Amino acid sequence: MNEPNTPPLIPAPALAGVPASQPPLSPLDAGSEDLAPIPNVVIAIESILRQPRRVIHQVRGPNSGALIAGMVLAAVVCSAVYGVVVGTFSGGVQLWAAPAKVAAGLLLSALICLPSLYIFACLSGSSARLTEVVGLVAGLTMLMTILLIGFAPVAWVFSQSTQSVVAMGALHLAFWFISTYFGLRFLNAGFNACQGRSTGGIRVWMSIFILVMLQMTTAVRPLIGKADTLLPVEKKFFVSHWMDCLKQTYDSEANRGTAQAR
Amino acid sequence: MSTASANLQVRQIPVLLGGDPNSLKDWAGHWEAGRVLGYVAVIVAGAGLYGAAMGYWRSPVQAGYNLIKFPLVILATTLGNAVLNGMLAPLLGLNLRFRQSLMLVLMTFTIAAAVLGAFAPVVAFIIWNTPSLAGQTQIPWATYNFVQLTQVVVIAFAGLTANVRLSRLLVALSGSERAARKVLFSWLAGNLFLGSQLCWILRPFIGSPGLPVEFLRPNAFEGNFYETVFRAIGHLLSS
Repeated sequence: MNEPNTPPLIPAPALAGVPASQPPLSPLDAGSEDLAPIPNVVIAIESILRQPRRVIHQVRGPNSGALIAGMVLAAVVCSAVYGVVVGTFSGGVQLWAAPAKVAAGLLLSALICLPSLYIFACLSGSSARLTEVVGLVAGLTMLMTILLIGFAPVAWVFSQSTQSVVAMGALHLAFWFISTYFGLRFLNAGFNACQGRSTGGIRVWMSIFILVMLQMTTAVRPLIGKADTLLPVEKKFFVSHWMDCLKQTYDSEANRGTAQAR
Repeated sequence: MSTASANLQVRQIPVLLGGDPNSLKDWAGHWEAGRVLGYVAVIVAGAGLYGAAMGYWRSPVQAGYNLIKFPLVILATTLGNAVLNGMLAPLLGLNLRFRQSLMLVLMTFTIAAAVLGAFAPVVAFIIWNTPSLAGQTQIPWATYNFVQLTQVVVIAFAGLTANVRLSRLLVALSGSERAARKVLFSWLAGNLFLGSQLCWILRPFIGSPGLPVEFLRPNAFEGNFYETVFRAIGHLLSS
């Protein structure tokens, strides 16, 4: 216990203008397309679909702020566009309320879960800095919402051809699950590149993120149907809300069947 | 050595959370006022935020009280057991000085507080989605149990994470898993024993809808946690 009074070394910039050395994104060849900078949001959208490691590399590099901001903006816009499609089921107020709620709900869910993701990353021994974690979450939300845009035409067709809130809710949830899967796959790839000791914590966080988003859909209801108030008066767990909706649908169909039988 | 290196810098928190014993041995080995203040700051911020999230279920005033009380429990436990922990370590085979053992316990609580602080937004979101206790005449037991379970899971995770890191550090310092295990369990037992009573004195942290929102109950210093537990067991067995 008589070592010199020095704290553990924090890696310092080796050269002016060069960021603190990070473990290299492996495996990447020097001069690979994955190292090419991403100049704008359109390239970012294309890259996250075709060359996700390019986005991961840029997020870990210097001057990633503009890219991260661009990805967040893209996520907000895309989620709002999908929200419009969600709102076309009921029309009226939902045409502006649904996109506002979808975009705000997604952003809020990401913000609520961001601190715990950073902690889990640190606990797993990952070398990811806070800005990198923010960047990976921005990439996750952008990829999710881009995929939702891809599902938007299908969702719209069903919106116009069914009266069932439950059916539309299930459809939107299915699209959301698929989009979230790919978004989380991107996040996982990002953390694999940061060379943590284990991925258990990240997987736990993914479960928390999914639960928070599911609860958020109930917290900002209605998204599909109509209600007297913009936001709910009664607080409910999302499973209770789904059960209530199913029960309501079953009861109304049973009543309709009884009326027809008479 | 510059003053800056003697302080806990924000960018060192991931190093603390990563728990690599080789990185933390030096920090544990030396008392530095700046770093201690940094640990205290993280405990106050992290535990305070979590306590506020927990207390908001009863009322915003309870949240404000918990902002003070939750970190107070942790810091009072650390200081209250400081001498005891400092004595137990060498007795059980780990030759630490008093300040070193205090530093280790502080570092452990800092890790736990950082984890709690990170989960504060999630807990606050859960609380926001449950009907508030305020204005209710009866406790909604299903909801209460759910919130309690959430608190237990988060606090247990924070405690487990911190103590796993402490355990690794103790093994690195002592060179003996056996000595490290004995020191860890003795510190845990002492901290749990004192911490439980401090929580009892400083209650409520959530509160009951039938009782007013108070910083301390009028009978805070009458009775103790263990008497209440034994009395409850006695009633259970005799009913």
